[in-house]
Amino acid sequence: MTDKRRRYIRMFALVWFILAVAGDIGLALGPTPPFTASDLASSQSTVIKVLSVIAWPVFSAVLAVIAFTLFANRVAPHEGDVPPRELRGDSRPQIAWITASIVIVLSLAVYGTVALANDQPGAGISTASASLPQPASASDPLEVQVIAQQWWFTYRYPTYGGIETPQLVLPVGQKIQFHVTSLDVVHSFWFYALGVKADAVPLNDNVFTATPSQTGTYRVQCSELCGLWHGNMNADDAMVVSSSDFSNWIQQQQAMDAPILKYLPAYSHTYAPNPLSYGS
Amino acid sequence: MGLRASIVGICTIIAGVIVGFFVTQYMGHTPPTVTVSMSANTVEGRPVVDVSFTTVGSVGSGLHPNWVAYLNADGNPATYFHVPAGSVVRMTINQQDSATGLRNPYFALVRGTVGNEMTVNKKVMTSINPDDSAHTFTIPDIGVSVPLLGVASNAPSGAQNVVQFEFIAPAAGTYRWQCFVPCGAGTLYGNGGPMQTLGYMAGEMVVS
Repeated sequence: MTDKRRRYIRMFALVWFILAVAGDIGLALGPTPPFTASDLASSQSTVIKVLSVIAWPVFSAVLAVIAFTLFANRVAPHEGDVPPRELRGDSRPQIAWITASIVIVLSLAVYGTVALANDQPGAGISTASASLPQPASASDPLEVQVIAQQWWFTYRYPTYGGIETPQLVLPVGQKIQFHVTSLDVVHSFWFYALGVKADAVPLNDNVFTATPSQTGTYRVQCSELCGLWHGNMNADDAMVVSSSDFSNWIQQQQAMDAPILKYLPAYSHTYAPNPLSYGS
Repeated sequence: MGLRASIVGICTIIAGVIVGFFVTQYMGHTPPTVTVSMSANTVEGRPVVDVSFTTVGSVGSGLHPNWVAYLNADGNPATYFHVPAGSVVRMTINQQDSATGLRNPYFALVRGTVGNEMTVNKKVMTSINPDDSAHTFTIPDIGVSVPLLGVASNAPSGAQNVVQFEFIAPAAGTYRWQCFVPCGAGTLYGNGGPMQTLGYMAGEMVVS
């Protein structure tokens, strides 16, 4: 190996090291989406942060090797035609690279599996046969049903008389059990800030749990192409409020829903409007 | 070579003209709008505008004579209208279609209007039986939703329920509105055709 080549190796190794360390510090200390508005979001944020911190040095190493190859093997115009060098295997970097890859991939697999296992039970898993909700208590999760239809989400609160509203309001610090379903085509309920994203499928009950930890106003939207107004099937009025504000809001909604309560179907985890009675 | 180049050139020009024609047509297309009349009155300092629609079970002419639609005063399918920001929008919908029924009964509730109520043939109502709903007028982004009571299926031609309500126009912007009754006859779950086509059972309210 020539001195020039060694110089290049040292130079690019230094550049990679600086890039890797600086990037990892930024990734480790900076905010990572979906941030911390719920326990689920915090968990996802941590997973993304860990993956990013591990992936960044690998990615920057690939960039450094590409740049090194371009510079170190460059032939100046005055050097004329230079026959390509014969490449021979070098077992040391190969072993190092394969070993590092195996360690990183297996570590991430273990970490990801543990993170998934520790996630809220029922997250993303259909529990259509689950029993209907019992009256709420402080320790029980608050069940909130998300009903998707072309092109608006509505929400039912079975522990408060089964009222239905077009606005999602949740109490802070209370574990929420979302039950997501659809009345027509497939939609997807995405409450980004809470880390909740669940497909809304007709005749299916998709369950997610999350505990909101920060009051505020958030966005919910559909993330499954569902027709003409899919791009508008969103709302910026989802709210996480204090328990007292939530109680007041519920009372307002109960009063507002009074004229329609007798017409709403009994609360169920799925609904089966007869399609034969429509569009014929 | 010269002949070949000429043919290629002429074909390119023709293709360009055709593409330009359709692009111009598309860009310059203005959908039929609903004429809005400004009232001389004001309510608490707010201007008042009157908007009127007629809903029918079938348009009767045009590209889709069998489609259900909101019609403007000229009898044409039209679902675009302009109102001033902050104004009181007085809606009158002459509802001439028979009931289909709501897939989600919740939309039988009047919500987001002044007083959360409407009048049907001058009778104040806050909800209707979901099965009696022919259509809804719903602007999701501002929470306005009004069910439109269907006429009897054997009612004589021209029979109608006059549905009236008021709401406050929001800040400037474009707000989509739609019907929540699956009234697209002959389509999957009744949500195709006119339900998926602007100008029939879906439209936009432009607030400026």
